[in-house]
Amino acid sequence: MNSMKGSKSKVLSLISTLNPLANPRGAKKLCELCEKPSYLQCTKCRVTFYCDSEHQQADWVGIHEKVCQLLIPIRTTVDFHSLQADRDNHCAQTLQRQEELIEISRAVAQKSLFEGKYQQSLPASQLSLRCAMNVYGPRALQLVPAYLLLAEANIGLGSLAQAEEYLSQAEWTVMKMPECSHTIRHQLHRNLGRLYAAKDNLEGALLHFANDVYYSCEEHGLENIVTCGGYFLMANVFTKQGKMDIANSLYTEVASTWHSHLTTLLDTHTQGSRMLPQLLDEAQQAEADQMLRAMLEIQESSPKQDAAQKVLVSHSLAMLWFLGGSLDKALDFGRQALQLSQLVPDHSLAEPIQILMQLAAERDQHPTNAS
Amino acid sequence: MSGSSSVARRQEVNFLPDINKPQKHSLAHGWTNPRSRLPKGNELPQQGRSQRPTISKDEIAMFRNSVWKNTCVEMLRGGFHRSFSELSAVLGRWKESRLAAGPGSVIWQQESLDKQPNKLHTLQHYLTRAEAAQRAGAWDQVYDNQLCLAQFFSEPEDRWLSHHFYQVSLASAQRFKMDGGQKEAEASANVAQVYMEQGQVDQARELYECLHQLTAGRLWSKVGGISLRSEACEGLCKVYTLLADGLLQTNDYKPAIKMLNKAFQMAKEAGDRRIEGEAAYRVGVAYQCVGDQEMAKRFLNMYMEICLALKDAEGQGKAYKAITKSLESEGKQAESVQCLEKYAEVSQSNGQQRNLQDACMCLGVACTSRGHDNRACTYFEQGYEIARDLGEVSLLQKAQVYLGSARAYSMIRKYSRHVETASHSDLQILIAWKARREDVFTDTTSSVTHT
Repeated sequence: MNSMKGSKSKVLSLISTLNPLANPRGAKKLCELCEKPSYLQCTKCRVTFYCDSEHQQADWVGIHEKVCQLLIPIRTTVDFHSLQADRDNHCAQTLQRQEELIEISRAVAQKSLFEGKYQQSLPASQLSLRCAMNVYGPRALQLVPAYLLLAEANIGLGSLAQAEEYLSQAEWTVMKMPECSHTIRHQLHRNLGRLYAAKDNLEGALLHFANDVYYSCEEHGLENIVTCGGYFLMANVFTKQGKMDIANSLYTEVASTWHSHLTTLLDTHTQGSRMLPQLLDEAQQAEADQMLRAMLEIQESSPKQDAAQKVLVSHSLAMLWFLGGSLDKALDFGRQALQLSQLVPDHSLAEPIQILMQLAAERDQHPTNAS
Repeated sequence: MSGSSSVARRQEVNFLPDINKPQKHSLAHGWTNPRSRLPKGNELPQQGRSQRPTISKDEIAMFRNSVWKNTCVEMLRGGFHRSFSELSAVLGRWKESRLAAGPGSVIWQQESLDKQPNKLHTLQHYLTRAEAAQRAGAWDQVYDNQLCLAQFFSEPEDRWLSHHFYQVSLASAQRFKMDGGQKEAEASANVAQVYMEQGQVDQARELYECLHQLTAGRLWSKVGGISLRSEACEGLCKVYTLLADGLLQTNDYKPAIKMLNKAFQMAKEAGDRRIEGEAAYRVGVAYQCVGDQEMAKRFLNMYMEICLALKDAEGQGKAYKAITKSLESEGKQAESVQCLEKYAEVSQSNGQQRNLQDACMCLGVACTSRGHDNRACTYFEQGYEIARDLGEVSLLQKAQVYLGSARAYSMIRKYSRHVETASHSDLQILIAWKARREDVFTDTTSSVTHT
């Protein structure tokens, strides 16, 4: 709490007031977030303006802290260069900086989305969208990722109308560009599916998730964790519809895909190459954790429990946490998996679980080796 | 807002708004909703839309996207992920084998599966039904649907698909235990046949032996009424014969005979006399190769009996010919000629000219080897005439050569007799022959022999 307060006061110290009437003629200073006339200015860069301290604070936390200094060369007007070459050079530099800015803000937004901080991701994705619009124009394909981020955040926040608006923009853009990549189409359909699921239009959601799986399959192949995400979302819809047999079949598919993926990751990890972030980035970790837990819960709440499935899921979780570096959780899930595996006639999983437990126990005793 | 607009749609819409009765609604949100600022442009399509059936999203997708994508999406939205992955895998395999074959090959010219809506829809239909059955745990229905697919792809270019689904169906049938293994037996019979078509004899043998065990003491039959038991026996007979052929080519006679004997046993069990006869014939021929003429004759006689029972003249001829060969190598020449005469008789009575010609030639050869040149000549002449009637140049040429040499043989003795005696009349005959080059010996000598 103390640190929060500290940062707040720090944030407040960064602004100076601004009188709109004192602006030069023609120059409109608008709020970074809501585009209303602004009364505050960031003292660090002096190129960003806000209507009130609340927006300034939200922007600071969301993205401004990371890009404050990067904005200066983009937004300050420079003197006119007398040589054409200089002017061209300047233009190219600005363009490059803006492209960097798009990428940085997109990554920040994505990260906060995966952490579930939807509100916090909004300023970053808005900045990304605005920059992309400046660089590529209002109807370019490059805007779609930013639209999708905004839509996802809005779905998370429950403001579906807003999300729908962004998604319609994205859909329209994609529709006009037949050469658009499969990745973008797959993301678009996934978000549309989420929107429809949130609006309780389950048939529509299924249609979009089907498209999502189709495109991600074209891009990544069938037994891929990205494709699997689509299956998981689909299974959730089927659960809502009460078609448990279909949902279970899909959950099984998801579980086995993640299990095999994690097993190969664990193999490469134990064979010496210990670069965890390269194996599985934070976002994927968060996604996997959320999905596998959900599946475990569903298994526990369903009337007829499938023990084999539970073993698979808890083993996957143990591997995930082992790779993620939290050994306690890995050991917990490993123990659970081992107990369950005694109940299953097929004992093929018992051995890998025990090996994993041993590995985790060794790491636990010699934590220096692990790090 | 949406309520008010739907009310507006349901009312009878005039081309221009009624001046006498101004509508409050449209005026009220005329400024808030940007769309309603254009009443004409907005209302006209609405009017049109109510008359025409609206186009749904699915119909648009059907029009915009490829058949392949529509099929996939259709399956996926029903949650049929296994069908989807199976279909993708099948297509992927086809593409791989096409690339491996390279341009210019047959498969390169073929149309891709994802461009053929008819096949795609069939695949979708049965795959999804199979998956639904699988979810419910009804493996027999899974099997049935997969079998339907396998039978659907009967075109030669789709054989690989058929083979694939037969193999898949075997896996499903193995999981279905309620019928004591009938479906499994049926599936293994199908897959074994596939292996036979592909020439994988060893796998086929394994499956057929398995099937043979499964069907022991059972009276199962397929839809067509063919008994599975006899199918297993026939299949095994074929497999053993093929294996024996391989052994015979490398001159491993002992194991080959063993294998052929097995084949014969299977043929006997299959209950088809024709196959049994042929198997017996093969065993006989194999024994001939080793030189065991007794055994050879026993099996060949068996074949002969079966052919007699089946009234198979062709087979009888084959049997007689083979038996002759045995008799000859035993040195029983008289019997072998008798046998050949029977061969000729059978062929003649059944009007098999080709066999008759063959018999005549064989008889001719037999006579020549025993020194009966005149008889040989008549046989060869017969053979020559038949060949001429048949109009077969190769046979005709062969007969000509044989006949020529037989005549020469028959003449050379008489000629040398004349030369040896060297009386005046002999010399005159010789001179006359030299001058005319006609067969003068036969007439005189025949008159001599007659006198």
